[in-house]
Amino acid sequence: MTKHYFEFSCPVKMVAGFRALEHISFELDTRGASRPLIVSDKGVVGAGLVDTVLAAIATGGGQVGPIFDDVPPDSSMEAVRAGAARYLDSGCDAIIAVGGGSVMDTAKALNILATEGGVDLRQFAGYNNLKRPLKPFIAIPTTAGTGSEVTAISVIKDREEGVKTFYCSPFLLPDVAVLDPRMTLKLPPMITAATAMDALTHAVEAYTCLARNPMSDAYAEAAVRRISQWLVPVLLRPDEAEGRLALAEAAAMAGIAFSNSPVGLVHALAHTIGAMYGVHHGAANSIFLPFVLEFNLPGSRQEIGALLLSLAGPEVYAATPASRRAEEAIDRIMALKDKAHELCGLPRTLAETGSVPREDLPRIARTALDDGTVVMNPVDVTYEGALRVLERAW
Amino acid sequence: MNDAPVSTRARLVVLEKRGPPFAFQRFYVRFMLWLIGRLLQAASVVDDEIRREVGNLPAGFTFSMRVRSGSAALTLTKHGDRLRAVPAAAVPHPVLSFDFKHIAHAFLVLSFQESTPRALANDRLSVDGEYPSAMKMLRALNRMQALVLPRFVAVRALKACPRISLAEKIGLASRIYGRLIVELLKRPAA
Repeated sequence: MTKHYFEFSCPVKMVAGFRALEHISFELDTRGASRPLIVSDKGVVGAGLVDTVLAAIATGGGQVGPIFDDVPPDSSMEAVRAGAARYLDSGCDAIIAVGGGSVMDTAKALNILATEGGVDLRQFAGYNNLKRPLKPFIAIPTTAGTGSEVTAISVIKDREEGVKTFYCSPFLLPDVAVLDPRMTLKLPPMITAATAMDALTHAVEAYTCLARNPMSDAYAEAAVRRISQWLVPVLLRPDEAEGRLALAEAAAMAGIAFSNSPVGLVHALAHTIGAMYGVHHGAANSIFLPFVLEFNLPGSRQEIGALLLSLAGPEVYAATPASRRAEEAIDRIMALKDKAHELCGLPRTLAETGSVPREDLPRIARTALDDGTVVMNPVDVTYEGALRVLERAW
Repeated sequence: MNDAPVSTRARLVVLEKRGPPFAFQRFYVRFMLWLIGRLLQAASVVDDEIRREVGNLPAGFTFSMRVRSGSAALTLTKHGDRLRAVPAAAVPHPVLSFDFKHIAHAFLVLSFQESTPRALANDRLSVDGEYPSAMKMLRALNRMQALVLPRFVAVRALKACPRISLAEKIGLASRIYGRLIVELLKRPAA
């Protein structure tokens, strides 16, 4: 009897494409909400993106509550509490998050306090500790990488306890994710490349790690296809709206894929150098991705080879001998990194980040072994194995 | 139960007469969790690698591997760089727990039909607690299994079998099982 088994879930309604923002007032109305709190950060507000959202809601006959834009780059407990207080004091009945990963994380955690009434957030930390649906929540990402608009997790820095606290529950998922190309048109090339490579890593790891399943595979393949097709054109022509939308869709699809098939060693290493040296998460993922795939060849050669179809198209796939497809897929990712480096300076190696000392590689390898994502890697990760990848990535 | 429709009540009576469901699995899982707890306790005395992992766990660390229904559990507490198996009731809220959703899922893993990483990937097992500690416990569990299980069983239980020479494996396994017997003779099992 087969022991095949998987779980898959994505209840988030996707509202994506041309004039997508103009659908928000309808989405609020159908959820009985008329006074949403806008959660954002000062950079996003300063770039005029919140104004674009407000205008779209107003022209649709909708209304909004106050704007809370005190979200720091690393989401914090203080910001969550302040945002929740604003929500409760202002009689709001829904949340609209406009921003990147930190804004999304803050909005998710804020929604817990908004629903549960200002209690201690920590009691809901961990997995599945929420027992009822939260307030209506609409997510509008302004970067195309993290996939936070479709993930059920929020990470909040707790300065009092000196830790980063995880909240993971299906109730944290937004009700609606709005992907509108206007939200990412002004992203600088470096951030565009780093976030797209972040999304590519989510998709590739979801496709090659242990929890892969037929549904996550479909999302991962579609995400890889879009990113390999559109990243370079968007870096060459940043106002390419079709490409911007394709990257935003890819980030959401990659988010759905890795929410249902968690990531592996690339993320373990990226988390570690992010925490130790502040290397941008997307850039770190981009650096490690091809080297981890090389490391994983003994355990997932077939899956890596199959990705060549999405990375390079049917002609290249058909012309490449089956025994060479995995190596060719890795070469294609290397080539994408080289192109991104040429066009916007995205670092290709740890040395190019200028912030990771070579003598620290053993410490990084040892620390990365304690990252939970290592469990899902298709090949067992030892200290020696992690160090070998780090040396290659140097 | 009295509110259930007649057909449902009749069905429940039939099921009750059949005896407890998963009776064999329940017995086997209880025994294996008991055994794993004691083997980990012994291995944390005998093996340097496991002792190092345990030593790096936070002070006051407690661990439980259990079935969500409450039908079986192993519970360990940290003392210095060693683990000690204790009754589940002694630690109602462990710092870290690995929870099987169902006795059938625990049986799959503990009868070596499914590895622990595969069980995690298949959402049969959930982790509640800090991941750095979870990873240390997983490495300790893996190392212990690699030492005490015959290789043909260990390859089914683990993602990869570490390279351990036959002499080292036999030596350490003998000491772990010897320690287990000594512990059992010293005090009645909890």
